[in-house]
Amino acid sequence: MSSQSLGDKLQSLPKPILYGILFVAATIPLFLKISVPNVPLDASIDYYATLMQLPEGSKVLIGSDWTNSTRGESKGQMISTLRILMRKKIKFAVYSTGDGQSPQVARDTIALVSREEGNGTPLYKPYEDYVVLGFYPNSEGTTLQINNNVLGAFAGRKDVSATGPRDVLQSPVFEGVKSLADFKVLILFTASSTNTITLERIKKTPLMFAVTGVMIPENSLYYQSGQLEGFLGGVKGVYDLETLMEKGVNGGGADEVKSPKYGAIPGFPGMKNLGMGTAYYPTLHVCLALLILAVLIGNVGMFMSRRGK
Amino acid sequence: MDYSLLKLTVGVIAILGLYSVLYRENKFYRFWEHVFLGLAAGYSILFIWSEVLKSQWWDKMVGSTADAAGSTATMGYPLYILMIPIGLMGYFVFNKKYNWISKVPIGIILGLYSGQQFQAWGNRYIPQISGSMKPIFPTTFETFTKPDTTHLAKDAVARINAELYPSQAITNIIFVITLVSVLSYFLFSFDVKNMVIQRTSTLGRWLLMIGFGAIFGSTVMMRFTLLIDRMYFIWIEWFKIGLLHK
Repeated sequence: MSSQSLGDKLQSLPKPILYGILFVAATIPLFLKISVPNVPLDASIDYYATLMQLPEGSKVLIGSDWTNSTRGESKGQMISTLRILMRKKIKFAVYSTGDGQSPQVARDTIALVSREEGNGTPLYKPYEDYVVLGFYPNSEGTTLQINNNVLGAFAGRKDVSATGPRDVLQSPVFEGVKSLADFKVLILFTASSTNTITLERIKKTPLMFAVTGVMIPENSLYYQSGQLEGFLGGVKGVYDLETLMEKGVNGGGADEVKSPKYGAIPGFPGMKNLGMGTAYYPTLHVCLALLILAVLIGNVGMFMSRRGK
Repeated sequence: MDYSLLKLTVGVIAILGLYSVLYRENKFYRFWEHVFLGLAAGYSILFIWSEVLKSQWWDKMVGSTADAAGSTATMGYPLYILMIPIGLMGYFVFNKKYNWISKVPIGIILGLYSGQQFQAWGNRYIPQISGSMKPIFPTTFETFTKPDTTHLAKDAVARINAELYPSQAITNIIFVITLVSVLSYFLFSFDVKNMVIQRTSTLGRWLLMIGFGAIFGSTVMMRFTLLIDRMYFIWIEWFKIGLLHK
């Protein structure tokens, strides 16, 4: 028979029960439509505004250094960004220096958004509207070469996603590109240290990062000191971007997203804007509430058992 | 069962297998762990050739001919063959007599990396240092906080932006105090008798702890998101959309 006091019991709840409760807390809100009020961060507004101010038909370079291990955050960030790029008819080239699996993950995500935006038929054609340049080892050296000689960095690569191996530099995406400055912005989706490597080496075009939650404090520094045009951090960044795509900036109305830095920037009302951010953010709140409750129960248990002794 | 549903189902079984270790160590978990390691190793071998060695080294060494798909002929650079002996030098680390040879490729890598670091350091830190020089004295007391400029005319916005309002000055003061106290914590880590420096260092340590707490909070948030994503995969992508077609 157990001689544990209530305080001791509260401090030693069985792990499988705690995990079970956590799994339930991370599941049930996914089936419910819970609306969490949101005030987008300045960094997210700047990210959105920069994308929306890109001229139609311009070109963007994308660094994709995430894999399925951070799908919960990075995929939502990439999906929302690609939706904006495709709606503005912006061509893009995607390279990876962080992980060998990243190019395939990027290909799958682009194909998914392309089908969605084209109502089942791919809106963006590989090689014509976008080109996946593949993986490059030695992130430091490759990134420096991208800054100094973007054509030299990607020379010799073949695109195999379309009709057969074709030189990536012959793609319409690279038409008229002579320097990195011909890409209006470099957007890096990363879950690793390639953010710092890129920040240290890319000077010829503005930078924007989409990073995981762990990396928010570090990248806030870069943003505050003006090294980034904008950035998305974790699932909050995804939710911010989805909110901005739905409402725009300074659009008027009671629930407008205000920003003194910009004039009115329209959203995309009536289109598919909401996705992983809107689904995950309320669930995250439930999980965090559970965590706070667990900390409180543990402390109450400790207090009770100390008083008992 | 169509292919996409089969793929999702295998994914769900793999997730359950890997999460089963949370209950206890078991053979089901071990099986999926080995499947994962095998897949990762196999994929690595393939991509090291296709994405690294072939495109970065072999194709550049042998060059290519023009083809019907639009690729132009490129000249080969036979000197790329030197990468092989330079790379092999690294293996001399296992030989006691000639292990000095292994230092040659390491030296080349270190030299290249060190050269880049001068520029990299400047690019990374100089904007942050200049960004730290913030004004701390308000230039106007018209209002305590900066007025909302959202729907104002451009000249009014410019006039407001040119001023430093008391609330902004307080924010900047907090920033500067944090910067100075954290710096003093690291600079004066030896035994210091001066009371002002001691107190400033202690404040720096406290502020660092608050910063670490915020970093830990964002880490916890990320870990939860990864779990939520797996639950989304199982319950929404596989169960709701894949099985129930809703």
